[in-house]
Amino acid sequence: MKVTGVKVTPYAFPPAGKPAGRHATSGSIVELMTDSGLTGIAIGADGAHTQIERLVGEMLVGADPRATSGLWRQMTDAQAAPNEGYASTTIAVLDVALWDLKSKANDEPLWKTLGGSRPRANAHGGGIAPTMSDHELVDWYRALSRDYGLRGATLVIGGDEDRDLARLEAMRTTLRQETTAATLIVDAEQRWAPDEAIRRLRTMERMFDVAWVEGATRSGDIPGLKQISDAIRGAVCVGRDLGTRAEFLPHFQDRSADVIELDIGVVGITGALELADAAYGFELPVTLAEAPGNIQAHLASVMPYFMSMEVVDPAARWPVFTSDVRIEAGWAIAGDAPGNGLAVDREALSAATRDGS
Amino acid sequence: MKITGYRVEQYLMKMDRLVGDANLPSGVEMLPGSILYLETDENITGISLGYGGGIDALFGAIEGADPREAVALWIRMNDWLHKAGNEGAASASLSAIDVALWDIKAKLADEPLWRTLGAREGRVRAYASGLDYCLSDEELFAFYRRMAEQGIDTGKLKVGLDVEADLRRLGIMREALSIASPRPGLMIDANEYWSPKQAVRYVRQLEEHFELIWVEEPARRWDYHGLRLVSQQVNAAVASGENLHNLAQVYPLIANRAVDVINVWTGQSGVTGLRQIAHMAHVHGLPVSMMNAQANYMAHIAAALPNHNMMEVVDPGREHCLKWDNHLEDGFIVLGDAPGFGIEVDEAKLKELQANPPTGRGKFPFPRREGAGRYIVPPPPGEVPWR
Repeated sequence: MKVTGVKVTPYAFPPAGKPAGRHATSGSIVELMTDSGLTGIAIGADGAHTQIERLVGEMLVGADPRATSGLWRQMTDAQAAPNEGYASTTIAVLDVALWDLKSKANDEPLWKTLGGSRPRANAHGGGIAPTMSDHELVDWYRALSRDYGLRGATLVIGGDEDRDLARLEAMRTTLRQETTAATLIVDAEQRWAPDEAIRRLRTMERMFDVAWVEGATRSGDIPGLKQISDAIRGAVCVGRDLGTRAEFLPHFQDRSADVIELDIGVVGITGALELADAAYGFELPVTLAEAPGNIQAHLASVMPYFMSMEVVDPAARWPVFTSDVRIEAGWAIAGDAPGNGLAVDREALSAATRDGS
Repeated sequence: MKITGYRVEQYLMKMDRLVGDANLPSGVEMLPGSILYLETDENITGISLGYGGGIDALFGAIEGADPREAVALWIRMNDWLHKAGNEGAASASLSAIDVALWDIKAKLADEPLWRTLGAREGRVRAYASGLDYCLSDEELFAFYRRMAEQGIDTGKLKVGLDVEADLRRLGIMREALSIASPRPGLMIDANEYWSPKQAVRYVRQLEEHFELIWVEEPARRWDYHGLRLVSQQVNAAVASGENLHNLAQVYPLIANRAVDVINVWTGQSGVTGLRQIAHMAHVHGLPVSMMNAQANYMAHIAAALPNHNMMEVVDPGREHCLKWDNHLEDGFIVLGDAPGFGIEVDEAKLKELQANPPTGRGKFPFPRREGAGRYIVPPPPGEVPWR
């Protein structure tokens, strides 16, 4: 089995009805084609098609897509600026497509090819756009907890302090209507200096039991994050925007993170598996950032210290593709469709391509 | 697909020659073998070579499960061992089962394990390792020359009891390997015979004459202070890890920068467990090196590791009842396309070995030598052929 080429189809759709700020409103469908007729599918960023086409031409055409680990190494080794920025997301999206092919070649779902058991991955609600009104916020958390059973949710904070506290109270009250185990997560989006983070988080912790904080300060500030972790009760979560082993290493070594967040859109599936094993060595829990189609659920059961995965849209309303992962009673459950379970909706894609161009 | 049962066959082998190290320089030629057969409802059997007795206690964790879910089953077995710990005999059983699960997983996909694990090619760089303290100078030369004729240009000598003799024998090993490279790679292995400071004194004397790639087990396996001290005070890299059995045990060595190379093998909680160790080492920028194995079966795993440097090849004759699908070529282990580990058991030969066990000198494993870690007891005349 050999890779013969790639087709990248950019799409765009309006953000209306999307309460979550992070959810991409544009992107591209990446289809890795082979001589066996199987196609590997992954969802990439918008505007990345030049890099993707070049990398496929240089590295993947003619290669056996089942060589996920070897090709990952070849792609990351070949980068002048190894695995950072665009290079990182380009390699990651191709790695996801290669794993899709590898599991399709086995005619089994990705979770099984990875060596997993049927994933029932603990899930939590992702970050909410600060632009949402308080009323919309409550409706949103109610939907997450009542309709999908999510026990944890994230609030983006870091603006006005009183407003943050009021909204956190609203989130807690709403979640508690459905569960006794409400998990409160906050994301300050790297806006604070360490001393400001400590002051604001300590104030918050006088009223709230915060499970973990994302973006407490800049992700490159190892001593600052360590200082925050030493000063607050909750866990400091780091990793969403880190792409390389070299970027994660100081956080492991200096314990500047208590929770490691991995984004398969940045570190790929292969990188996520490597980093999850390293995190396990340090007894650090792993959370998986949102991925289109929630396909990160496939990885949960092969990560020894998997903790939770982020879900931004439990209703799975992706306009141009469908996913075989569903959110139910607080768990993300992957189905039995071969590969990662993503399927392209051709009609919607062609409409979205037209609208976006 | 479901796991339905298992059987374990144990037997005794007489190797083609003696093998020994600083702990027993006179060597042994007898090796106990065992084969775990993990059975499924689909006429595919997983084969695991090694020392896996005592499967009973863990079999309940995997009975009826789909063997393709190898990693999740590893986590389940590891969780089963929560109180007692993934240690000792329990760890050996977990390791043996995990290897068989991966064999089944690859066989079901009808592909060699190196492909299942995502390697681009079934090809692993090899180094020669004589386990040679029991060999005469002539036998030593013959072993490394035979390896060099197959393209291997790096060798690892057993050392630790006699600086003068070790210097002479390093020269012999280098000469024998010199047909493969004008600059053969030289390594040494003390099998924990020294204290850290003994190691520093000893290795620096050798380094006055030879450049060494690594010194293996210069101090105790868990002594991360001692191993780091040796690493800092000698030119050679320090390698260790083969006697540790899971990631938790290796963690202090990696986190404290105590070693420069991690020795890995399936006894470290199977394919899954050794891969965890390799991944953690990789994140820390450390290479790993696969230990020797019957029929070099572990090369399948090495081929897919992102940070593997070279694999130990001993070839003492341990394949009496095995058929395998790999060969040495130009200094590399070249793996074939036979499914799984590519190992088949010759059942008739196995029965024959069990019915008529061979006899010979000594038996693996052997104990630690007197004086280890404190003072050197040089071999008296007659203990080794080189004095």
